[in-house]
Formats: sequence, C-alpha cells, structure tokens
Amino acid sequence: MDPETSTPSEMTFSVLSSAAPVLAPRVGKLAIPGRQAISTPHFIPLTTRGAVSHIAHDVMRKETAINSLYIGLEDFIEKKHPAPLYKTPVAPGESPLRRFICAPDDMPMILAPRRFPAIPCPPTNTETSIAVLTSVGFRQLSAHQWVEAVQNLRPDIAIGLADIVTAQPPGIRRRGKMVDRTHAFTRDALEQLYGSSLAEDKKSKTAYFAPILPLENAQQSLYLEDLETEFRDRLSGLALYESTSLSFIPKDIGDLPRLLLSEPPTPHDILREISLGADLLTVPLIGTCSNAGIALAFTFPSPSNTEERGEPQPLGIDLWPSEYAKDTSPFLQGCECYACRHHHRAYLNHLLAAKEMTAWVLLQLHNHYIMDQFFAGVRDSIQRGTFEEDIHAFNRAYAPTLPNQTGAGPRLRGHYLAPRQGTDHPKRMQKVYGRLDGLSDKFNESQSSVATPDTDAEGLERHGFAEKV
Amino acid sequence: MLRVNVKSVVGVAAITIDQQCKPDKRPYRLIVPERIANAAIVTPRVFFMQCHRSLARLRPRILHSLSSIATMSTTAEPARKAMPSALTFDRHAKCSTTKARASTLKLPHGDVPLPIFMPVATQAALKGLTYDQLRDTGCMLCLNNTYHLGLKPGQEVLEAVGGAHKLQGWDRNLLTDSGGFQMVSLLKLATVTEEGVRFLSPHDGSPMLLTPEHSISLQNSIGSDIIMQLDDVIATTSPDHARIKEAMERSVRWLDRCIDAHKYPERQNLFCIIQGGLDLELRKQCCEEMVARDTPGIAIGGLSGGEAKEEFCKVVDTCTDLLPEDKPRYVMGVGYPEDIVVAVALGADMFDCVWPTRTARFGDAIVSSGTLKLRNRQFAHDFSPIEDGCTCNCCRPKDKGGLGVTRAFIYHITAKETVGAHLLTIHNVHYLLTLMANARQAIMEDRYPAFVRQFFSNIYQGDKSKYPEWAVGALRGVGMDLLAD
Repeated sequence: MDPETSTPSEMTFSVLSSAAPVLAPRVGKLAIPGRQAISTPHFIPLTTRGAVSHIAHDVMRKETAINSLYIGLEDFIEKKHPAPLYKTPVAPGESPLRRFICAPDDMPMILAPRRFPAIPCPPTNTETSIAVLTSVGFRQLSAHQWVEAVQNLRPDIAIGLADIVTAQPPGIRRRGKMVDRTHAFTRDALEQLYGSSLAEDKKSKTAYFAPILPLENAQQSLYLEDLETEFRDRLSGLALYESTSLSFIPKDIGDLPRLLLSEPPTPHDILREISLGADLLTVPLIGTCSNAGIALAFTFPSPSNTEERGEPQPLGIDLWPSEYAKDTSPFLQGCECYACRHHHRAYLNHLLAAKEMTAWVLLQLHNHYIMDQFFAGVRDSIQRGTFEEDIHAFNRAYAPTLPNQTGAGPRLRGHYLAPRQGTDHPKRMQKVYGRLDGLSDKFNESQSSVATPDTDAEGLERHGFAEKV
Repeated sequence: MLRVNVKSVVGVAAITIDQQCKPDKRPYRLIVPERIANAAIVTPRVFFMQCHRSLARLRPRILHSLSSIATMSTTAEPARKAMPSALTFDRHAKCSTTKARASTLKLPHGDVPLPIFMPVATQAALKGLTYDQLRDTGCMLCLNNTYHLGLKPGQEVLEAVGGAHKLQGWDRNLLTDSGGFQMVSLLKLATVTEEGVRFLSPHDGSPMLLTPEHSISLQNSIGSDIIMQLDDVIATTSPDHARIKEAMERSVRWLDRCIDAHKYPERQNLFCIIQGGLDLELRKQCCEEMVARDTPGIAIGGLSGGEAKEEFCKVVDTCTDLLPEDKPRYVMGVGYPEDIVVAVALGADMFDCVWPTRTARFGDAIVSSGTLKLRNRQFAHDFSPIEDGCTCNCCRPKDKGGLGVTRAFIYHITAKETVGAHLLTIHNVHYLLTLMANARQAIMEDRYPAFVRQFFSNIYQGDKSKYPEWAVGALRGVGMDLLAD
C-alpha cells in the first residue's frame, strides 16, 4: 500500500532497503512537506519544556544536526485551561506550538501527551483521561483535551494517547483495561481528527502514530486487528513502548514508520532495537550521560583497529576525574563536534568541578553529535548489508556498559524526578550554604596565630627581630 | 620611644625616625634582619615592605605607626621600576558638556571600544553560554575572577594548559580582578594583615593566605590582558575611618609590591585601584600616589558596596578630575544601566558587574524601560519579544534570522530549564553592550547629554518628578541639566 495515498496527513515514509517486512533492520526516509526529511533509523532528540536540555535555540541551529523534536504536552499544561501555549498568535496555518517554543520552521515536531521518559504518576488513568505530571502538579489529561491539542497546536506528528501503567506490572484485569481504553482513545481520536463527517479543510494535517501497548501479542490482538483494518487509512505510524512489540506488527501495517519509545541503556541495545526494525528511537542516555559528565566515545561501525587493541574500548569517558585536569586533547580524538573543535578535556573537567552550566552545554553538543554519527553509520551499514557483522564487531570492540557516574550533575528540577512517598528519605539537594559554619573555631585559631606574636619581648630579641631599649 | 634605624642597601642615607609611643608600652628598637639587608633590594620602598612583613607579628599598633612611615618613604622616593604598557589608548572624542569620553582601548587580543561594559565569566565560563554566543553579543573583553580560578582549576593547571585564554577557548580579551573584592564578600572569613589576606578556603575550610605577590603570580599564570593589583577592600559603608585610611595606604603599598612582582608587563596591563572609601580627601591622596606609579590603566575600587548613589558619584567625579586623560578608567563592580550612564558622564570608561547575568538566571530581563521580572504571571500571555526592536539573537524575529523568543516563552522556561537562563543572559549582555555602543556613538557625535536625557526618560516614562535626585545632582556637577527638555 502506498503511504502517500493512504494517510490523511502529508507525511510520507518510504522504506529504501529492508530484508523483511518485520524483525529486520531497514533504512527509510520520513518526509513532511516544509520540514527537514529524516533518514531512518534515527533518534528523536528529547525536549523538556520545549527545549533540548542545555542546548539554547541558537546553538541548536548553528552547531547541531538536530532534525526533529520530541515534545511532551504535559510540560505546557498550567492550572488554568487553556494554557498560554494555545493563545500564541500565529499566521493562518502556522503551528502555535512551533511559535511558542521558537522552533525553526523546518523542524519536524513530534507531540506526545507526556514527556519522555515520563515520570510515573501516582494518580491512575481513567476511562477518559490519563494522569500527567505538570509543573503545577499531577493533572488528568482527557482524551478530548488531547485531540483538541493536536488540532490546535498542529504538530507534524502526534503520538496517540495510551493507557500505560508505569508504577508496577499490570495485573491481568488491568491489562485488559489497558487495551480497551487505548483502543477507544485511538478510535475516537482518529474519528475526531480525520473522520469522514469532517469537511476537508477541518481534517487535521497532523500525522497520527497509534500506540502499541507494551503487552503480549495475544492480549492486544483485537486492537492490532483494528489498526490493520478499520484504522489503517488514518494511521501514519506506530508508537511502540518496548522492542518486543516489534515482533508482532501486523504485516499490513509493516510499512508504517515505527517509533520506539524505549530507554536503551547502551548503544548495544540501540543496535538490537534497530536490528528488530525500529525506525525512530528515543535515546535518553544522551542526556543522562551529559548530566553525569560523560562524553560518549564510540563510533559505528567500530574502527578497524579497535579489535587489535584487545581490551574492549570504553563507550564513554567520565570527565570528572582529576587526571583530565591538564589534558588539552579533545573529548574524543578526531571528533568534529563543536565542543571538540573548540575545547578540551581540561576545560570540561574544570567546568564540571566548578558546576558551570557550560559543562552540560558542551557535553550535550558532543553527545548528540556522537549519536548522529552513530546513526549515520548504522544506516550506511544496513544499506551495505553488513549490519549483522558490524554489530558483532561493535559488541566485541566496546565495553558492554557505559562508565558509572562519579560526579554530581546539574540540579534536577521537579519535572525530572519521581515524587517520593513519606518523609523519611534524605534530602535530594544538600544545603550549599553554611558549610563553613563549623569551621569558625578553626578560623579563629588561624587568625590568632597571625595577629599575636608567639613569643614575648625577650623572645623577639633573641630572634634578632627587635631589641629592648 | 620607638626608634627605627634603617640603613638603605643602596646606601643613600640612614633614616632614623623617632616616634612617641604611649608610655605604658614597652618601646622597641628595630634591628634590620640580615637577610633583608643582604637581599638585592634596590629601593628603600621595597625595603620597607620587607620590614612590614617581618613586623607582621608585632603588635598592630606599632605596625600601624610604621605603616605611615612606609607611606612617607614611598612619596619621597621618585625612582620607580619602569612600567611598560601592553595597551594603547586612543581618545576619539570628548563630550563638550560632561566629562564623557569615547575612545578605543587596543589590547593584545583585540580592540575594545570604550566606554564599555564587561560581562563576568567568573569561573572561566559565562554562565552557560558558549564563547561563540558571547562573541555574537559583540563582547570584546570579559572578566574572569582570580580568586575563583585560583581555587579551581588552580595555578598549576593554568600553567600547564597555558593560561585562561587557552583554558576556556576565548580568543578575545580577558580582565582578571585581584581577588581583593572577596575580602568584602567573604569578610566574615577573612582578615587582612600587611602581609596579605588570610581566609578560609570555601571548599575545604583550610586557612589560606593571599598576598599581592600571590595575586599577581596567579594573574600572570592566567595570562589575562588586564590584571588588577591586590587592594585592601573594605565596605564603603564601614564607619571605621581609621580602617579606611589604613586600607587606602595599604593598597598603595600593595600596588608597589604588585608592580615588583609583575612578570609580564609587556603583555599584561596592571591597573591600580584607587581606594579611600567615601572620604574624598583620602581618595585624592590615593589618586596622587597611584598616578605617580604610572600603571597602564586606573581603576576606582571599593564602590558598589551599598553606599548612597550621591556618594558614589562624588567619588567617581573627584577621582576622574585627578586622573590623567590618557589612561582608561575602570569603575569596578558597577553594572546598573543608570549608574553606568551617569558614571560615563563623570568620565569613567569601563564597567563590570555580575548583575545582568545573575538577574537573567532569575528571569529578569533588562530593557530600556528598566527591568522586567518575566517570572511574573502577567508575562505568561505576553507574546511580544523581550524588548521590541532589540537586535539580540533572542529578540530578533524569525524572519530576520533571530529566534523570535517571546516573554511568554521565557516565563514558561525560566528557572526550570538552563536554556531559559542562557537565552536571557544573551539578551541582557547584548542590551548592556548595545547601550554602551549607543553611548559611545552619542559622545562621538557630541550629543551625550541628549542621550542621557532620553535614557532617563525611557526608564521613567518621561515623568521627571521620578528622576533620582542623585543622578540629577551628579549630572549637574558636570554641567548637565538632566531635567532640561
């Protein structure tokens, strides 16, 4: 089926090379009129409150290759509805969301109900809404509000509402409910966005990615069947929450782009997910490494000389240790990123120790660049047909895990942290002021040893310093 | 009787000074220690400094009386170490009414148009900005803080890396302060002696000593284009006049030690710092002493410590009258736009302050009508740029190649994401640099008084009754009527 005619949006996705419709890596191109095309497999840079963490808008445009943004609607919800975001004045047809967050005109924007990774919410989802965490606390985002948001905010891609249970594995009854609710959310949203009762100009131009739940195939088979048949014409893509879901994508929707919302802990896991057929991936490890002071240090395919070195190479360099204090080499030898072209390890080591924000800016630039190169290498490798061997070589060449975090990251705000129950837990942020309070005695001591001579007049005379007259 | 017998090494003359001591104190006769006499000391001035160090353990009162002797000796000593200069200062125009000057300061890392505001990159990073972003704002000269760089990354690293320019990847000019200001800001933890400042390391609490020699050595390692002498800073609001006088005199003595310790006068410009609190007589004395030492530039220090604005203006006005026309004048720690605009009229050229960058992190935007607290709810729905017509990267609309940042977006993101701080920092630094560029243009075209009137009119929406009296008074003092139409 040709996606150009089958979806109501203007987005097209063409698979350029693939060995099999499912469970095989594939190279493709996602094109939205007026926006940069995305070559897949590709990662989707994650935003918080409309900005990629630590990367200011002008730096993003000039110094990165960021070509899509993942945006969570919950970041914009305020106490009063509608939030200021909805009131952004725009030209006809322009996206208020784009204008509000100052995104470039050609930047593809993917809007989801929740940020990624989403903080688990203690309130439960309901038949008509899901629980979200906003900057003003927990709220319910109703299915109706979500559809309204997609209609008004005009993102390029919207990820459908799903009833996901994050706190603990759902029981059997809950799983049934998840499927039923998600089915209903998808059905209603598609009807309200693209329904046949709508006039042609009222139909949404946004591409809709239907969620596939992180459950077994059998549990959501009815929902999957409907996606394949009844909803097929209105779907532009699929949003998956775990890589195992890639194995049971129905054949008839196999040509839709697959966005995998997972948290691969290492590049090895990213490769595995790609080899199972993921097209777009979320890679939160970029941000976690930047905050931890770790500069990613891998390339794909692994350089031919890495295996000869015997020892597996580290996947990243923790720049906190003082051994880098005088190291004027770039973060990673041969790296062409902004940070490596202009700065060196010694500077970053200093910035981390001094807790300067610029440290995280430079790390984000470097780590995004490394990930760009990594995905470009993956696409080449798939097209060359050497992906399988390249993965094996990569697995041998590099350590299985990223280095551990040794230093403190930036101060984390509420929207990064899961709320904790009760009161008997240590403070998240240790008090910075008053650290020297206990030292006042020590200070007095040091002070007095300066001000008073430690000998009397005779002593001074004996030392030849002065004589009594 | 306190008898001080001093034989100068150059053998000019033996100075014998008798001074009355209080009868209840045991008098001392000072013996010159061997090692001082044998050291290769050329001038009695340095000799006295050495005495001071040796005497640091003597009773403060005696030390105090010796201090004045040392000062006397310095004024009496005309032969000084020649002071090369690594800058040229080209004066272009002088306001025909006020004392405002437009000039260009040519430093080793590029030309700086004066008057100028210098943003403060305290720890070798301008609060989240990349140096390309800072370059975009037009900045030619920014500050690093010696005290902070001395603690992190430390002198050893600075030496190994090859200085602060190389450390932070900044190819334009740097100015470092001496660490003296931390005496005010960390007063509870510091004591000042003739030797230097003793303080506790804020990192681990260990006692440390910062002497003029340390400070200069550190700044030599940093390699900044302008370095500052270590001065004895005390709050201008201090009621202890004796202490203020002592601080002023000590600053002069420390300047001599700084000049002697300065290793690279041919590539780093040492600026002296005029002290003397709010006492104009002390300031005059200090100006006289320091101008005689012929440093490449001159700073007026110890201000911006909470003193009344009238007093601040009087001090700047008094000092600029006594300072040579052919040297740049730097008023330290001054950063409010109003203060800067008035101080320019009083004849000052350079300013620095952390306020514009700090306030940006709290969500405050500096605009021509004052300061906007963008975290206030009223801005949540305000979709205008931070300032209409501003040409910074943030405010410029998208169709003019800018980012099109709105007040509403800053409200949304500030204090929650670091990017919010970055964006507002860009705007605030750009605002101040543009303000200075406009002031300079006005001086060149000899319409600075009109510029100042327009500036105040913008802030107070033309309501002259709200104009601050200190500004009106200070400007009247330089022949300009702020209230005129």
